[in-house]
Amino acid sequence: MSFLALDNIKKSFGQTQVVKDFNMSIEKGEFVSFLGPSGCGKTTVLRMIAGFESPSDGTISINGKNQNRLKTNQRNIGMVFQAYALFPNMTVFDNVAFGLKVAGKPKEEIETRVKEMLALIRLDHLADRYPYQMSGGQQQRVALARALAPKPQVLLLDEPLSALDAKIRVSLREEIRQIQRQLGITTVFVTHDQEEALSISDRIVVMNAGRAEQIGTPSEIYNRPNTRFVASFVGTLNIIEATVVDPSANTVKVGDNTVRLREPVGALKVGDKISIALRPEAGSLSESAKGDTAIVGNVISSHFLGSVIRTKMDVGGNQISFDMFNAPDAVLPQPGEVLTLRFSSGDFLIVRD
Amino acid sequence: MKTQKILAWIAIAIGVIYFFVPLIGTFEFSLRMRRGEYSVDAYQSVFSDMQFRETFGFSMVMALLTIIFGMLLVVPTAYWVRLRLPQIRPVIEFITLLPLVIPAIVIVFGYLRLYNSSSWLPFTGSTSGTNALLVLSYITLSLPYMYRAVDTAMRAIDVRTLTEAAEILGAKWPTIMLRCIFPNVMSGVLSGAFITFAIVMGEFTMAALLNRPAFGPYLQLVGANKAYEPAALAVIAFAITWFSMGLLQLVSRFSKMAPSRP
Repeated sequence: MSFLALDNIKKSFGQTQVVKDFNMSIEKGEFVSFLGPSGCGKTTVLRMIAGFESPSDGTISINGKNQNRLKTNQRNIGMVFQAYALFPNMTVFDNVAFGLKVAGKPKEEIETRVKEMLALIRLDHLADRYPYQMSGGQQQRVALARALAPKPQVLLLDEPLSALDAKIRVSLREEIRQIQRQLGITTVFVTHDQEEALSISDRIVVMNAGRAEQIGTPSEIYNRPNTRFVASFVGTLNIIEATVVDPSANTVKVGDNTVRLREPVGALKVGDKISIALRPEAGSLSESAKGDTAIVGNVISSHFLGSVIRTKMDVGGNQISFDMFNAPDAVLPQPGEVLTLRFSSGDFLIVRD
Repeated sequence: MKTQKILAWIAIAIGVIYFFVPLIGTFEFSLRMRRGEYSVDAYQSVFSDMQFRETFGFSMVMALLTIIFGMLLVVPTAYWVRLRLPQIRPVIEFITLLPLVIPAIVIVFGYLRLYNSSSWLPFTGSTSGTNALLVLSYITLSLPYMYRAVDTAMRAIDVRTLTEAAEILGAKWPTIMLRCIFPNVMSGVLSGAFITFAIVMGEFTMAALLNRPAFGPYLQLVGANKAYEPAALAVIAFAITWFSMGLLQLVSRFSKMAPSRP
């Protein structure tokens, strides 16, 4: 049985339905990310788990117990907010101790637990500081310690890294993941940053317009997107419009190139249009590249991006981008140059809407 | 550029002269009670006057009660409007501004019609009732300042997220209000309190028409019957106001509870 279960959750604000029939089962100790663009309903689902919003329909249960009728302060859930939300009038120690004091724990137990939590986030030397005397990253770590101190059943993270600068964001996400693994706490993480979601999650829920478009491991989400939305939202993707040449042989035409797909085209007939996707990192210009397929196109532009060189080429009206690793002797392809891009037929994904 | 600077200094000088000369004149006059030399006789006379102590004490008590009950009304209202009813914010702002638009004399006449001894709620039927009505009328008068001071302090601390953070940690409403919200809007509460104190100490209309022995009517009485004491009282009244303003500045400067924000 799953630890955190969301069954047929719906949520409407007035006439607008922001969450539509949302189902999800999360195992104990699992780290699940809700990924999606702004307004897709991910934060609303999180707020319903927290009890800040009540579902219009459906049930939320934790460890088999229905949470719908419980108030926020009865749920024993920890939450870290985007805006830190530390109490400005309290020191770091008092902030972390707040949940334990409210629960009426003995003074000695509070002291031990707070020290333990501050050691966990490596800020035990800042126990007497006030939030305004700390950096954003430090404040967010304190917020994490405060959320974990009362030993919650579930930890909710509402875009906790989005207010931080890039370097801190990367180090803090690794720290969050490490602490989560160490404590084995079931965690739901909301983000609109795909890299964040891909790097730290056990599973990702890609949300769009109030629905879960796809639920899967980071690898499944990235390599085998189920829908056009997931394919375009997660990572950079070339969507290529092709024409079916031979359905039985799974061959399609892209410009003047005929390529074979590994995935069956299904019930399509000769001449039918089909959308196929190709990741920029799938192709290679090298003749020795491992690949059974090639397409020829004209270079439109080429950009040096540091670790990679991204080149855009035109293939029968489709603009296809591909990446090459940077090397000291790498030469940027010039506009107008004709290039042959090699890749495996398995790299093509058929895009379904 | 130089001309502009000179003009600016002239404007400042005119302002300073306009404000300080009457004040210095009043202060100087208050020291002239003893013929031919400066003395603090007028102040001694004022401080030794029993009526001064009584009216000053009465107004102090009224000011304290106004601050306590005003805050009990304003803090939860401002909190609730920010948290749950942001759509009625313009209505609340309008209501709190009304005392600036409606003259105090109109308000007090309204009170006398509504709460006279033959009405359904006869506040003016007893001394304590009239005192209560006076406190309520002072709360009304100080609403524009109190509400704004508290509301501004709440704007600085993201009340909604702090409330949610406390709630998810298991806190109930009284704990949230007393330990998470109130201490963080204390600078606003104190600012409102000092302004209220200054207003109540000098208020005349309400106290005079409700016939209460407050400091404002006493100032008027002394002014009509004595020569040097009114000047001393005016200086004392200014000192009280400035003291309140000074405390207000101090509170806002030394408030270490800066908001925790990205």
